[in-house]
Amino acid sequence: MTHHRFAYVEVDPSLGPASALPYMPITLIRGQQEMEALALVDSGATLNVLPYDLGLKLGAVWEEQTVPVRLSGNLADSEARALLLTGRTAELAPARLAFAWTRSNDVPVILGQVNFFMEFDVCFFRSRSVFEIRRRAMPQGE
Amino acid sequence: MTLNDLLPSLQALPRAEKLRLIQLLAADVASEEALTTADSERAYPIWSPYEAFEGAATLLDALKQEKAAP
Repeated sequence: MTHHRFAYVEVDPSLGPASALPYMPITLIRGQQEMEALALVDSGATLNVLPYDLGLKLGAVWEEQTVPVRLSGNLADSEARALLLTGRTAELAPARLAFAWTRSNDVPVILGQVNFFMEFDVCFFRSRSVFEIRRRAMPQGE
Repeated sequence: MTLNDLLPSLQALPRAEKLRLIQLLAADVASEEALTTADSERAYPIWSPYEAFEGAATLLDALKQEKAAP
């Protein structure tokens, strides 16, 4: 099955490898709108998170998203609503992804357990500063 | 070896190499500063929504509803 390998990104040059995190480019699609983003592949995150401005750039309207999503951690105080998008990366087949679209802009795009890790199999090789992603095996008829 | 030992050699360097040396030393010092302050003085926000299971269930439900919609 096709997989794609990404390199970790050092987010703070002065700290070098100590600041390396698994970021990957992803194209987020909503209707006819597409936006490129650098997303943190975060196996510790319970869910996907989308910063406010990126949702707006994709044409989403806050008032039209009526499903509230309860967040936790640093984001607990930020209001969030469910937003369904399509995500595509590298040559892998796109997937429908559900995001907690938050009012905050201080957060990166986070790809978490629900539902990024349910759609993509991820293998981290931190010792080599790379990670691999492949689309999950599709049951027949899906 | 002390700075006094090195100084005559450093002063004899061409201008471009002196500038390069300044850059190297500045980066070196910045790197050391960053490493020594990494634990105590910097703020490292953790954005991961840990254990937001209720929110995760909401998202799964939204996906399910979309799939079921005609």
